Amino acid sequence: MKKQAFATSSITESIVAFAQFARSHELNVGIQETQDALQAAKEGLLTNQNQLRLALKTLFCHSPEERLVFDKLFMLFWDTNPTHMREERDRMNIQGSFEPKANATLVMLGMGKTDADAEEAKNVSGANETERLKRTDLSKVSAIDAELLEQIAEKLFRQMALRMRRRMRNTKRKAQINLRRTIRQSIASGGEPLDLLYKGQMPKKQRLIVLLDISGSMDKYSFYLLRFICVLRDYFRQLEAFVFSTSLVRVSKALKLTRIDDALELIGRHTTQWSSGTRIGDCIQQFADKYGKQLLNGSPTVIILSDGLDTGEPALLDAELMKIKRRARRIIWLNPLKGMQGYAPEARGMKAALPHLNDFRSAHNLQSLLELENILVNA
Amino acid sequence: MLAINQPSDLISYLSDHRYVADEELVTSLFLLLKLHKPLLLEGPPGVGKTEIALVLSQLLGTRLIRLQCYEGLDVNAAVYEWNYQKQLLGIKLQEGSGLSIEEKEHHIFSHDYLLQRPLLQSIMEAEKAPVLLIDELDRSDEEFEAFLLELLSSFQITIPELGTIQAKHKPYVLLTSNRTRELSDALKRRCLYHWIDYPSLEKEMSIVGKRLPGMEESLLHQVVNHVQQFRQRKLVKTPGVSETIDWAESLMALGYREVNARAFEQTLGSILKTVEDIDMIKVEGAEAFA
Repeated sequence: MKKQAFATSSITESIVAFAQFARSHELNVGIQETQDALQAAKEGLLTNQNQLRLALKTLFCHSPEERLVFDKLFMLFWDTNPTHMREERDRMNIQGSFEPKANATLVMLGMGKTDADAEEAKNVSGANETERLKRTDLSKVSAIDAELLEQIAEKLFRQMALRMRRRMRNTKRKAQINLRRTIRQSIASGGEPLDLLYKGQMPKKQRLIVLLDISGSMDKYSFYLLRFICVLRDYFRQLEAFVFSTSLVRVSKALKLTRIDDALELIGRHTTQWSSGTRIGDCIQQFADKYGKQLLNGSPTVIILSDGLDTGEPALLDAELMKIKRRARRIIWLNPLKGMQGYAPEARGMKAALPHLNDFRSAHNLQSLLELENILVNA
Repeated sequence: MLAINQPSDLISYLSDHRYVADEELVTSLFLLLKLHKPLLLEGPPGVGKTEIALVLSQLLGTRLIRLQCYEGLDVNAAVYEWNYQKQLLGIKLQEGSGLSIEEKEHHIFSHDYLLQRPLLQSIMEAEKAPVLLIDELDRSDEEFEAFLLELLSSFQITIPELGTIQAKHKPYVLLTSNRTRELSDALKRRCLYHWIDYPSLEKEMSIVGKRLPGMEESLLHQVVNHVQQFRQRKLVKTPGVSETIDWAESLMALGYREVNARAFEQTLGSILKTVEDIDMIKVEGAEAFA
């Protein structure tokens, strides 16, 4: 257990101990910060406790969220009376606790429901296994095929990310004269710049925002779609991802993990609502209110992955999508149901959304996800 | 030179320059001056992030060097670039001069042919440490952010043809961000951090009062009170302090002594910047905020 203020004997020791204390509570405080804190103390910021608090705050915190935690930590460290000390409990309070749904991880790993109806999958025939699986509806994949499909998906998604990166690099157009290279080139012609060389505009990295529906009706798909999002992350460096059903959760941080399974597991732990109902309108509103101002700058592309089976008000969805549309470059809606034969967007939510979409596509099998590549590259 | 021995000294100096700062902000500024670490300021638009750099430079009596970031900002625009046209001319002019190649080369790669961009300027400053403002860093690309790391930790810039240039006087660096994206941890760790939020009613009144000394107390209170209530609404664009000042100014310019229904109708455009917001507030009417 880390020491607290009363357990230390000098001010230097207290500050060092506090830095350790802060670090153990997930503030990013290293040796440099500790040194700076001591330096600050030397500059005469020890005259009162408040000043010390403010100085340490500016040194130790790097985001508004951390600043909130910091005040609690500071109180805890410097004002705790030994008899009241229950560090473990306080620690819980600081970080906030959540009760993950017991089977959330299971659902997310694609094992939530095992009764796959394999018959329809058989109806899809193809030259080879890969081709067949690529075109099989994700919800109809049998348990045996699932593993294979996962491997194929992994491979194809990676290839796609690679292709997208390459293609972007080669599409440089003429723009400005590149004097530096022109001069270098002119040496060959005795110093006269005969050939002009151009400086291409570096392709802009498109920002992408993905909203994934993880409600019950999407169960079979959300597992693969989440992997798909993980792959998009490799290409779109500024990717923001959210999952929603009855409320919205931001998962961009979790996606930053390098190992895809770690990322999926973390998302599973933080999301308590796998396989619950859907309120698309409310969730889109939450997104627009809470993150819209931050994230909708610079016209990003917004992708919504949902089946459009909404239990909320269609009018709300209509209004919110309109708001987003005004600030987004384009909105693409991917609906797994669209791949079904005879599907028409009759669900109320889907009907309300349609007029605002730049693109409405299916996302029921690997093939349809891979087709997205062309759209995103030109986005 | 001003004597700044403790943070509270700064409050009064800043207030002389018409900037109202709280103890938290001045502590951060104090550490910026004493520890020579860059200060990263984050917060919603229009709360005085950029302004503080301006005021700080006035207060210290030094130059303010500003780098506005944007997507695609590169080293040529931020640090330095050779003046190629001038170099070409230089070569032509030297053609008959009989100088050796080394001398020619030395000549065209000298400081005369160097275009100094803000970051280079900030470390070349000869007299006194300048204030360097890197504005809206969140708009630039990650690549540029990575480049800044070298500058912010060792205050030096390397130009291959000239060598490494070390700052004579370490600039006071202020970075601002609106948090449209998260900055990298590496950069954040090199900086002090402060979050400026929308001010409270009292603080905002004293800010506007400082800026517009001729304003009547009752109008001032009314205006600020309105704006504070606007911020509670779900607006597309939440007004910042600078908008409050704009609004107060336009009301005064039109000769209003109170925010009545007519004044409200006429001047709402200087505080709210989208049609949706204006419509929404207009429907509620001036009385709703009284």
